[in-house]
Amino acid sequence: MADLKSLKAKKFFPMLSDRQKRFDEAEAKFPTFSDNATALAKALHPKRQYLKVAEVNKRAKDCRSYTLVPDEERGTTSLAYFGAGKYLTVFETIEGMPITRAYSISSSPKESLEGKYVLTIKLVEGGLMSRYIFDTWKVGTEVEVSAPAGNFEYQPIRDAKKVICLAGGSGITPFLSMANAICDGDEDFELTLLYGSRDEKHILFLDELSALQKKCGKIKVVHVLSNPGVLVPRGMKKGFITAELIKKYAPKDEPYSIFICGPQQMYDFLDEELKKLNLPKKYIRHEMFGEFHNPQTQEDYPAGVPEEVTIKVTIQDNTWTVKGKSSDSVMQILEKNGISAPARCRSGECGFCHSHLLSGKVYVPKHLEYRRLADHKFGCIHPCCSFPLTDLEIDVPPAK
Amino acid sequence: MKNYDVIVIGAGNGGLAAATTCARAGLSTLLLERHNIPGGSASSFVRGRFEFEPSLHELAGVGATDKSGQVEDMFRRFEGDVDWYRHDSTFRLVVPAKEGDTDTFVNENGVEVSIDVRMPVGFENFAKKLDEVVPGSYESCIKAFDLSVRMFKALDALDDPVKKIPASLKDFPDILKMVSHNMTEALDALGMPKKAQDIFNTYWCYLGVPASRLDFLYYLAMLHSYVQHGTGVPHLRSHELSLALDKVIRDNGGDIWYNSEVTKVIMKDGKPAGVVINGEKEVYGKYFICNSYPYSVFRDLFDKEEIPEKQLKMLNARETSVTLTTVYLGMNVTKEELGIKDYSVFIAPVSDSDKQYDLVQNYHSGYCIINCLNEIIPDCTPEGTCQLFLTAMTSGDVMKNIRPQDYKKFKTEIAKDMIETCEKALNMSITPYIEEIEIALPPTFARYLNTPLGTPYGYMLDKWDSMIPRTVQYLNDQPFENFFFCGATQERGDGYSCAYYTGEKAGGLVVKAMKKEGK
Repeated sequence: MADLKSLKAKKFFPMLSDRQKRFDEAEAKFPTFSDNATALAKALHPKRQYLKVAEVNKRAKDCRSYTLVPDEERGTTSLAYFGAGKYLTVFETIEGMPITRAYSISSSPKESLEGKYVLTIKLVEGGLMSRYIFDTWKVGTEVEVSAPAGNFEYQPIRDAKKVICLAGGSGITPFLSMANAICDGDEDFELTLLYGSRDEKHILFLDELSALQKKCGKIKVVHVLSNPGVLVPRGMKKGFITAELIKKYAPKDEPYSIFICGPQQMYDFLDEELKKLNLPKKYIRHEMFGEFHNPQTQEDYPAGVPEEVTIKVTIQDNTWTVKGKSSDSVMQILEKNGISAPARCRSGECGFCHSHLLSGKVYVPKHLEYRRLADHKFGCIHPCCSFPLTDLEIDVPPAK
Repeated sequence: MKNYDVIVIGAGNGGLAAATTCARAGLSTLLLERHNIPGGSASSFVRGRFEFEPSLHELAGVGATDKSGQVEDMFRRFEGDVDWYRHDSTFRLVVPAKEGDTDTFVNENGVEVSIDVRMPVGFENFAKKLDEVVPGSYESCIKAFDLSVRMFKALDALDDPVKKIPASLKDFPDILKMVSHNMTEALDALGMPKKAQDIFNTYWCYLGVPASRLDFLYYLAMLHSYVQHGTGVPHLRSHELSLALDKVIRDNGGDIWYNSEVTKVIMKDGKPAGVVINGEKEVYGKYFICNSYPYSVFRDLFDKEEIPEKQLKMLNARETSVTLTTVYLGMNVTKEELGIKDYSVFIAPVSDSDKQYDLVQNYHSGYCIINCLNEIIPDCTPEGTCQLFLTAMTSGDVMKNIRPQDYKKFKTEIAKDMIETCEKALNMSITPYIEEIEIALPPTFARYLNTPLGTPYGYMLDKWDSMIPRTVQYLNDQPFENFFFCGATQERGDGYSCAYYTGEKAGGLVVKAMKKEGK
């Protein structure tokens, strides 16, 4: 064995010159090496995707599918691959007002490799973005979207092998993508879809869904029609998606997961129904709630909030003072004043709009409270689901 | 257009410490960060009812209540508001038995192992425990810690700006003797038995360099800081650390702009004079501190002919360090229900660090560290739950043939493998109780940290390019007289405390230079 005497102090100074020598002898040109970690990060999470509308399909009176393809002229040559269930944030400017909305991708992951995303959009009553899209998106329209994002995805380690998917109206879109991914071999689970619609004509993708069911043994589709006046066709169910109905299709002696995507009323109804099933929390997964309106309707909303508030907003070295309604989110107030703020999910969850509240108070609906613990300690908010209770002073990052 | 005294590029730990130092000294300071929150690795993320710690295992230098360590001391000096939770053990090392192993035993989990040891805090306790497991190792272990105490004095001397390098080390012949040797050479010379060396070297992976290439004094400095007083973590995940510094910077008049990516450095008379933000906005400054990787900075922010020749040569001479795979688990049972008793368990298929290093060049290595934050912060998750954090090192190269469409399946496979490694080694059932899971691979780190091959570790701290040579050469290694790097690529390598140290030091250099100019 060596001993301390074998260690030499005089090795140190030669070591410094050895280092210098290694630098001196190295090549003086910018190094190139293959770096697939960075390549994958860029391919899966581009900052922006520049697309154009290639096709418009009417699904129902108030629902259209838009096929989007890369716009090579603006620098997008391929589409980011995604896990079925993810959404894209669409960026638009409507009469000088920057605005964003998140829409689930209804096409399959495989189709993105072929250069195609489909967004299926329902015209929302009083909805600014959906109205704008219905009025202006035609074949050839330029569209700007985010990278695919969101956490509403099948996860084989966490989720049960059998999944009961509960869809309402246009909430079908992520499940259509999942069903196609299963058929393509990109996902591996058994999907039973309980799809609630008003009546048969309101069912979106009726033919596609039955074709998928025929083609792939892992997919089962059950239509549930709520309109009491109509005749329910054979094979379809009447009424609402209830705990009883779920039990009927759920496996008896093995765990199953429940995925839910639909309008707010459906979440409210199902939350009560699902309690009856007594499932561990891990087996129930919600898609995001979507933009929240009318905070005054919430039980814990305080009294005496002024109708109009003033917000002093700083973005980098610019400061504006704007007015808005306390029933609008901070994000909406900024947008209505022509100020572009960073927005992605608009449901509180993604945290992309993370900002500093320098003074004033806001209300955050409990079910949209996704802030980090330290955000509470240091006064940070997600403007997309924060509603002003007083005049505010905020520091917001720029949108890009 | 405002002309700042100093522009700090990147709000990672180094950039935050640099900007804090400058703002507190009264310099007009602008901190630019391309993400929407500060911290780089020092952050957090929320999934369902869990908030996860993305990178911190534990902070060395958070001392016992009566003595404070380096990091805690820095936050105190900066008046950063952090609620520390302390931890008074180091690690448990479990090496499951392999065929042909002699000298194995069945551990408390009912698993046949060749090593299973919990190492305590305190030099004396640590040495005694080592001796208990490997008789005859006490004396060598104490000698090593004696050297580490001396070495911190030597490092202070090196930081003395007045003395020239050889002179500052003249009083430390014992340290000079060690300085050019690797772990194996030095521990052999101290007479430490091989098995004890393997246990002593357990933290090598925090530096990403195996014993035969790992600079002895560098490792010793790190082990010392963990063993001396124990460790700590912030109560509200690392996001608390980063927002605490964000607040100090703002309170001292500094500006912080998030979502503000530097896309170009503006050169004037052969040195940096300003930056372009998000490709459109120009801001000017006298000094620049950069918390990004030299490779990414010279690739993205400079025209090729603006890059100093020495910087190109340094990029070619150095090797990018290893990277990590991490799995974050939100569990719907408590740690007691799972049977977890330790904060930090290192599970290794073999005890020798060089063999471990070879194995982790591939996935499925059987190497995994499992942490349970609830051991230190009982209320870090809702009642009836706990969170686990699994870490395995890997080479960035393993991603080579993975296509975007393979990535999700690949990730899942890796995570399954790591979970199984822990389940087997601790004879414990984890999978059925997973309520939330997130998996981070090298592309995840490449995305959030913008580092080559997705490494969080900087450049390989090979013996020839380790802490002391880097410290001695720091100023010579900087690209321009008014542009300083800080963070994982600099003299102390990766780790929160190292990044804070380099950031504060770079900030200090700028403050001093500005003073000289009469500010």
